[in-house]
Amino acid sequence: MVRYGRGETVKPENIRVCVLRIEGTNCEDEMADAFRAVGTQAEKVHLKQLAGEVSQDMKRSLEDYDILALPGGFAAGDYVRAGAIFAARIKSTIGRDVNRFVERGKPVLGVCNGFQVLVELGLLPAFEETMSPMPTAALCTNDSGRFECRPTVLRNDNRGKCMFTSCVNRGELLMIPSAHAEGKLMSRDPEFIEKLEDNDQIVFRYVKENGSKAEYPWNPNGSGSDIAGICNPAGNVMGMMPHPERVITRFTHPDWTRDTRNEDGDGLRIFKSVVERLR
Amino acid sequence: MSGKGLMVKRNAPFDLYDIDILSSDEGDLRKISADLGLGLSADEMKVIREYFKREGRNPTDVELQALGQAWSEHCCYKSSKLILKQFVFGIDREDVLSRGDAGVMAFDDEHGYALRVESHNHPSAIEPYGGAATGIGGILRDVVCMGAQPIGLADPLCFGPIDTASDLPPGVKHPRYLLGGVVSGIRDYGNRCGIPTITGGMFFDERYTGNCLVNVGCFGIVRKEDLALNHAGGPGEVMILIGGRTGRDGIHGVNFASQDLTATSDDDSRGAVQLGDPITKEPVIHACLEVNGRHLITGMKDLGGGGLSCVVGEMALAAGCGADVDLEKVPLKEEALAPWEIWVSESQERMMCTCRPENVDKVLEVFEMWDVLATPIAKTTDSGRMRLFWNGDRVFDMDLEFLTGGPVYDRPYVLPRTSTKEFEKFPELPDDEEVILTLLSDLNVASKEWAIRQYDHEVRASTAVHPMVGKLNMTGPGDASVLLPVRGSMKGLAVATGCNPWFTSLDPYKGGMSGIDEACRNIVAVGARPNAFTDCLNFGNPEKPERLGELREAVRGIGDIARGLNIPIPSGNVSLYNEASGGTCILPTPMIVGCGLIDDVRKAVTADFKKEGNRIFLIGKTKDEMGGSLLFRKFGGDQGDVPGVDIESLRRLTDRLLEAMDKGLVLSCHDCSDGGLAVAVAEMCISGDMGASIKPGPTGLDIRRALYSESNTRWLAEVDEEDAAAFKAIMKDDAEEIGFTGGSSLIISEAGVDIPVKELRKAWSEPIWSVMGGVRP
Repeated sequence: MVRYGRGETVKPENIRVCVLRIEGTNCEDEMADAFRAVGTQAEKVHLKQLAGEVSQDMKRSLEDYDILALPGGFAAGDYVRAGAIFAARIKSTIGRDVNRFVERGKPVLGVCNGFQVLVELGLLPAFEETMSPMPTAALCTNDSGRFECRPTVLRNDNRGKCMFTSCVNRGELLMIPSAHAEGKLMSRDPEFIEKLEDNDQIVFRYVKENGSKAEYPWNPNGSGSDIAGICNPAGNVMGMMPHPERVITRFTHPDWTRDTRNEDGDGLRIFKSVVERLR
Repeated sequence: MSGKGLMVKRNAPFDLYDIDILSSDEGDLRKISADLGLGLSADEMKVIREYFKREGRNPTDVELQALGQAWSEHCCYKSSKLILKQFVFGIDREDVLSRGDAGVMAFDDEHGYALRVESHNHPSAIEPYGGAATGIGGILRDVVCMGAQPIGLADPLCFGPIDTASDLPPGVKHPRYLLGGVVSGIRDYGNRCGIPTITGGMFFDERYTGNCLVNVGCFGIVRKEDLALNHAGGPGEVMILIGGRTGRDGIHGVNFASQDLTATSDDDSRGAVQLGDPITKEPVIHACLEVNGRHLITGMKDLGGGGLSCVVGEMALAAGCGADVDLEKVPLKEEALAPWEIWVSESQERMMCTCRPENVDKVLEVFEMWDVLATPIAKTTDSGRMRLFWNGDRVFDMDLEFLTGGPVYDRPYVLPRTSTKEFEKFPELPDDEEVILTLLSDLNVASKEWAIRQYDHEVRASTAVHPMVGKLNMTGPGDASVLLPVRGSMKGLAVATGCNPWFTSLDPYKGGMSGIDEACRNIVAVGARPNAFTDCLNFGNPEKPERLGELREAVRGIGDIARGLNIPIPSGNVSLYNEASGGTCILPTPMIVGCGLIDDVRKAVTADFKKEGNRIFLIGKTKDEMGGSLLFRKFGGDQGDVPGVDIESLRRLTDRLLEAMDKGLVLSCHDCSDGGLAVAVAEMCISGDMGASIKPGPTGLDIRRALYSESNTRWLAEVDEEDAAAFKAIMKDDAEEIGFTGGSSLIISEAGVDIPVKELRKAWSEPIWSVMGGVRP
C-alpha cells in the first residue's frame, strides 16, 4: 500500500490496484492488464472477498489498496437500470469502506458499466457530498436504441483536476473505443452541465476525428454536451463510457494498419496519468 | 397413453413407467416411439427389443428416452459418420492437441487454441432470440470444457430474403423477424458473457426462408498443461453437476433437431427450445476454468443435446467406466419432474466435471465463491453399466456400450447433376456501372454493419484486426479478424468464415472445396497462414438419396482440399433435416470456419486502400467460371462452370503472398469472392475512401467474365511503386499488375465505369439498414 503524505517517491510496483468484480463484470482481465502495463500490482477481487463472505485466506480489505477500478461488463446482467444491482450490492456490503477510500483521496476509475455503477452509487457527479445518498444522474439508453461498438475520439476537456488525465494535454485527442447500449449521461438538474463545467468535472467529450463537434456516430449515444467521462469535484473519482483498457497497445486500435507511428495505444495515457499522480 | 396397456405405471412415489416392448409387434413399437417422442425407427426399436430380451425384462420409460437421445442423428451422427470417416477424418498433424468437444491445435510453445462450430438451426427457426442465444451458450461450453478461455465467437447465418413481400408458407416466420431476433440473441448473450463476436457472415436466399441456419463458432486459448479431458479419469470418481437448474425447457431438443421442420413445429416443439441465461454462464466459465487450472478435476464436459443422459454416459464410457447416478440430487427449476424428464432435459448453463473424492470439497468451494450451484450427483464405477436411482429405487440399468453405441447407416445416395459451361446461359446485362452498384447492394454483399456494431467485437482487448476495416467510421468489409490471444505476445490468431452455398448447390464437390479456399483466402489476406478448419455441415434430409449425395460430394471436396493442404479439421458438426414444411430444402451449406497463425501481428494487412498512386495487383487466375456467380443469380444467368480449386496453386500462391507480406511489401489485400474482381476492388475503395483505376488485363476472357467471374484463389493487393519490383520477383507469374490507386472514383475504362467512391459506399452501406430500420450512421 502506498503511504500518503510522507513526501517519499512511490514506485509503481508498490501501488496496489483492486479490480472489483461480480458475476457479469467481464472486462476485468484487460483492466487488470492495463494497470499491470504501467507497472502496478493489479488484483481481480470479487466483491464477496471484500465483504468477508469467503474463507479466511480469500478475504481482502479495500483499505489495503491504493486504486479501485470498476471494470465494464453487464454486472448481474444489468436486467434493471444499468449498474444498479452492482451498486446496491456494494452499498449494502462495503459502502462505508468505499466512502472512506474516496474521502482519503484515493483514485477510483469506472469504465462503461463501472461508470454506470459509480453514478448509481452516488460517487458521480457527487456535487454536494462524497457519496450522494441517491443517484443524481443516470446513463440512459443510447439515442440509436442499440448497443454500439465503434471507435470514438475523445477530447480531454479537463482543466487539471482529474487524476486520470494528468499526462494528457488539455484539448488533446485520444481514440478510445465505445461499446455500450446505455451511455447517454442525463440528469434532472437543469444546471447539470454548468455545474460540471464550473467544478472542472468534465473530463472527456466525444469529438469528430479532426476535433470538431461530434454528431452521431462520433457521439455514439447522444450524451448531452457530448460528454463521455466526468470526475467528482475532488478529481479522484472518474467514470467514462469508452474503454481505455482496450487500447493499451496501438495494435488494437481499429485503424492501426493506416498509422503505426508509435506502438502505445491511446488508452495507456489514462493509466500512466493516475500512476504519475500517486508517485 | 396407450390403450393396449403398453405402458404400466410403476407403484412408486414418482412418475415411472415400465414399457412392454417384449411382447410388442412392429406396430406397437412404432406407436411407443411416437407416443414417447423417441424419434426411433421400427428397426431401431427392434434392436432395443432384442437387447431387453437378453436382459430378461422390459425397459422403463427413462431407459427408452435415453436411447432416443443417444441414437438420434444429432448425438450419434448415424447418417453422416461413414462419410466423414471416409473423407475428412484422420488428417493428422503433430500440432493437433485434441479432438475433444472442441478441437485444440498448438498455438505456441506454451499454449493451444480451441476451435469448434455447430448449428442451432431448428430452435432459431421457432424462437430466434432464444435459439441463437442458447447456441452461443452451447458453443462457449464446448470450448470451456477443453480447459480453454473463450476468446472469440463466430456467427455465420443464413436467412430467406429479409425484404421479401411474398406470402410465406404456414408456420414460417418472416426472415426479417428471424434476422432481428437472431442478431439480438447473439448480441445479448455474447456481449453479456464478455466474449467478442469477431467473424461470421450472412447469406440470403429464398431456399433458407423455411429453415434458417444459425451456426455458432467459438475459439479459445489454453495453456498446454491445462488442456482438459472430456471424460472421467477412472472408476471411483465423483461427478459434479455445475451451473443451472434442470427444468422442462429443452426436452427432446435433439429429436427436434433430427427431423424436418413442419407447419406445426412452432406449437409442437416450442418446449424443445432451451432458455439461456448468460449471467449464470459467465461465472460458470470463471469457476470451471479455475478448478481446471488448479488441476482439481479429472475431466469436464458440457450438457448440450441429450442433457444428463448423454454427458454421464459419454464421460463414463470414454474412461472405460460405468456410473451410478442419484437422480433425486439433481437441482430442479420446478417440482415434480419425472425421472425421464430430468434425465433428458437440455436446460442450459450446465456443465459436468469429474474429480477424485478427496478434491470434492475444494471444487465445491470454488463454485460457492462464484455463487454457482455445484452438486455431486453420481459416481463412476467399474461395472460398465449405467445405473440410475431415485432415492435408492433403481429406475435404469443398462450396458453403457449398447446405450451409447448407436446405429450407423450406409444410406443410399445419388450423385447430383452438376452445372457446366455446356448449357450456360449468359444473362442480358445493363451497363457496368449499374451492374457494379447492383452487386454491391445485393444483401449478400452489402454491409453487415447493422449487426457487427451491435456485437461487442473488442471486449477482452485482444482484437487486432477488426471485422470492419479502414478509416474510422468510414469502414468497409474485412477478410479475417485477428486476435492477440496471449497478453504480452504479438502472435496472432486469424479467424475467418468460408462458404458458397450457391456453388455447392450446383456442384457440391467444387462447393465444398470453394468454402475451404475462401476461408484460406480470407486468412491469407490478413497475412496469416491457414492452420486448421472446423466445419458445420448443414444439409437436408439424409433419408432422401439426392440430399445425401450432396452431403457426400461436399464432404469429399472438403476432405480432398484439406488433405491436399495438409490442414486438419479437428472438430466439426453435422446438421441434417434442414427442410421446411412442403419439402423445400435449404441450399446445401458446408460452413467452414478457418483459423490461421501470424507470428507478428504488427505485420498484418487490412483490405482498405492506403495511399494514392500505389500499384494494384491481381493475384491468381480469372477463369470462365460463372456458375453460381452473384452476377448470374442477380441478372438471370443459368448454369456455367462452377469455380474449382487447383490445390497446388492455392499452396503456391499462399506461400508467395505470405512471403511478400512478411517482407512488408503489401499495403492492403482483399480476396475476390461474391461479385468477383469488380466488387473486390470497389470494397477496397470504400474502406480506404479512395478511388482506383483498373484494367483487368489479357485474361483471354471478355471484360464481363473478367470482372464478375468468381474464380477461386484470387486476391487483390496494393503495393507501393517502390516495392513493385520486389513484389513481382516473389510472386513471379502469379500476380498481374492491373491498375493503381488514387482519385475519388472507381474507373474501369474498358467497361465504361467511372463511379464516385461516395456512390459505391452508399450502394453498399444502405440495403440492410433500410430493411432492418433504425438510426443509421
